[in-house]
Amino acid sequence: MRPRRVLITGVGSFLGTELARRLESDPEVEYVAGLDDRPPRARLERTDFIEADIRNPLIGKLIPQAEVDTVVHNKIVRRPGPGMSGRSAHDINVIGSLQLLAACEKSETLRAIVVRGSAGVYGSEPSAPQFYTEEMARLYPLRTRFQRDVAEIENYFDTFSRRHPRIVCTMLRYQPSVGPSLDSQITRYLSMPVVPTFMGFDPRLQFIHELDAIEALVAAIKNPVRGPVNVAAPGTIGLTKLVRMAAKPTAPILSPFFGVVADAARRVGAESLSDDFRRLLRYGRAVDISRLVEEVGYEPRLDTVEAVKDYLRAQRGKQLLPTIRDLVAR
Amino acid sequence: MSTRVEQGRFTRARAAGPAGSPSPPPSAGQGRRPREQAYPGAFPIGPTISFLRRLRASLDAGSELPQSLAEATGALPRDLRDALDRMLHRLGGDYSEDEWGFDEEFADSLLPFFEFLYERWWRVQAIGARNVPSHGRALMVANHAGVVPWDATMMSVAMLREHPLPRYARFLVLDWAFTLPWVSVAMRKVGGVVASPYNALRLLEQDELVAVFPEGVRGAGKGFGQRYRLQRFGRGGFVEIALRTGSPIVPVAVVGSEEIYPKVADAPLVARAIGAPYFPITPTFPALGPLGVIPLPSKWRIEFCEPIPTAHFGPEAAEDRSFVFELSEQIRATIQAKVYDNLVARGSAFL
Repeated sequence: MRPRRVLITGVGSFLGTELARRLESDPEVEYVAGLDDRPPRARLERTDFIEADIRNPLIGKLIPQAEVDTVVHNKIVRRPGPGMSGRSAHDINVIGSLQLLAACEKSETLRAIVVRGSAGVYGSEPSAPQFYTEEMARLYPLRTRFQRDVAEIENYFDTFSRRHPRIVCTMLRYQPSVGPSLDSQITRYLSMPVVPTFMGFDPRLQFIHELDAIEALVAAIKNPVRGPVNVAAPGTIGLTKLVRMAAKPTAPILSPFFGVVADAARRVGAESLSDDFRRLLRYGRAVDISRLVEEVGYEPRLDTVEAVKDYLRAQRGKQLLPTIRDLVAR
Repeated sequence: MSTRVEQGRFTRARAAGPAGSPSPPPSAGQGRRPREQAYPGAFPIGPTISFLRRLRASLDAGSELPQSLAEATGALPRDLRDALDRMLHRLGGDYSEDEWGFDEEFADSLLPFFEFLYERWWRVQAIGARNVPSHGRALMVANHAGVVPWDATMMSVAMLREHPLPRYARFLVLDWAFTLPWVSVAMRKVGGVVASPYNALRLLEQDELVAVFPEGVRGAGKGFGQRYRLQRFGRGGFVEIALRTGSPIVPVAVVGSEEIYPKVADAPLVARAIGAPYFPITPTFPALGPLGVIPLPSKWRIEFCEPIPTAHFGPEAAEDRSFVFELSEQIRATIQAKVYDNLVARGSAFL
């Protein structure tokens, strides 16, 4: 097989940087380029860093020049960071994807686009099947802004791949990642001093370990398949079990008041919880990963509970409150 | 006060179970999976006092609280200490649930209460539990009544008590239950899943025993006058699922469940206001408030019929609509006939 040339958007994020590092050490990959408006998290050895805003039409010139065969689209904002409005997150997600596709259209060497999308497109529904398969994306109405964004992005890539049959578009639908070095919505939630929950609900959650998240991307780069693929660790974990393992005090809030309380808490400085995340905390979500295992050929090494354990093991050092079991250890 | 007395009586009844009462077949009890749990019949006053004494002595001697607690547990009887230990483990998140949220340890701990309902409250007689395959996938199909799935629970208990190789059944629950606080958690923990064909398929592919109630909300919402008249069996979806996975179908007739909440009227406006599929009015509900949720103590019979094998039809038979309807109708007729048989065999509804 001829050596691969890969471009990664959003290389300034943790997963983007780690993916670039992983590809650098891969003998099958000849060239790695990283595109972002912020520099990579760590020093990269042979990655070409292209500093550009993905919303800028200029990338229409930069990407064809790189002469890559695979584009990894990793610039999708799941949680607007500090100083970023919901509006600009939406712009990056939707306009960014459109600009990227316009640039891809001009590239003659391109063979595959791998998108790190989100399983958030399924939403969280009480009456949904316990495990979503790839064809269930439109089972329920799109309820939150992020969900609508992801659905829109998926639509663009779907149309693009139908118009350009020679380019394979893989839409990876990621469940939230956890891991020792990752800063995501779920790890932020678990690091709150008191964890708010919906009183009387114990949703089934599903994650993927950060290393598995990177390896799944690598597997998809090496073996791109057409259409959506769910990416998650096998198994699920109940929120109650998760919070107890993390030894966190909880604040159960009656569901009708959850929004009010969470908004009030945010005003006095607590972590803000997105609408998607609130729905996730109430109804949970899990996906079926047989397509990832059978067609892409990647089997996550850690299941959901093990991934959580690995994250918590790294956190233990920072723990302030003793766990109940430490207290009564015999 | 009264609950304690009941519990005490119940423990004695359990202990005397296999030898004394004639109702369970001789094999009952032998095949039970070993449960290390012991259920203390009455509140242990003596050990509690000596526990507190030791705790105080240890604290007076200048030990820290956690260490004193640990030392004082030595005064407790073994089973209580174990129970406490398990509880603390659970509070530390150290318990296992499968990917559906089924928590066997939790279900086991509820079993004494369900067995009380089974033995004393509804005096359930189970017939033909051996007809349920002891391993591998199988689909139990039963008639259904009442919004609280007591019938599913009692089928499960019957499987655990009367079957030579007991196993937990998973059951499909009306999805509305999963929008409710606490109810949703309890359902998942004891083996309920959202009533969706995808869930049933996946469970059967995992070689589980699955219970479905094809009457669905029509069965749960039928009036007292309609009792034991089976409603239409949906669109035969359960037959398709059984055919596709090659699972044998076990028709189950449940008699008694339809008297526990005699629904005399319906309040559709209230139902719409709270988003419920229907709002039943029974002689006790909502007149007596929460007390109205207590089911009436009718007498029950559960008959597990001969399993109908489907593997030899092959998965492509699921595409044949007329065949699916035919099989579905045949199963409905079997259950209806068995319901009538057992109604006659049972005699009086409450005595």
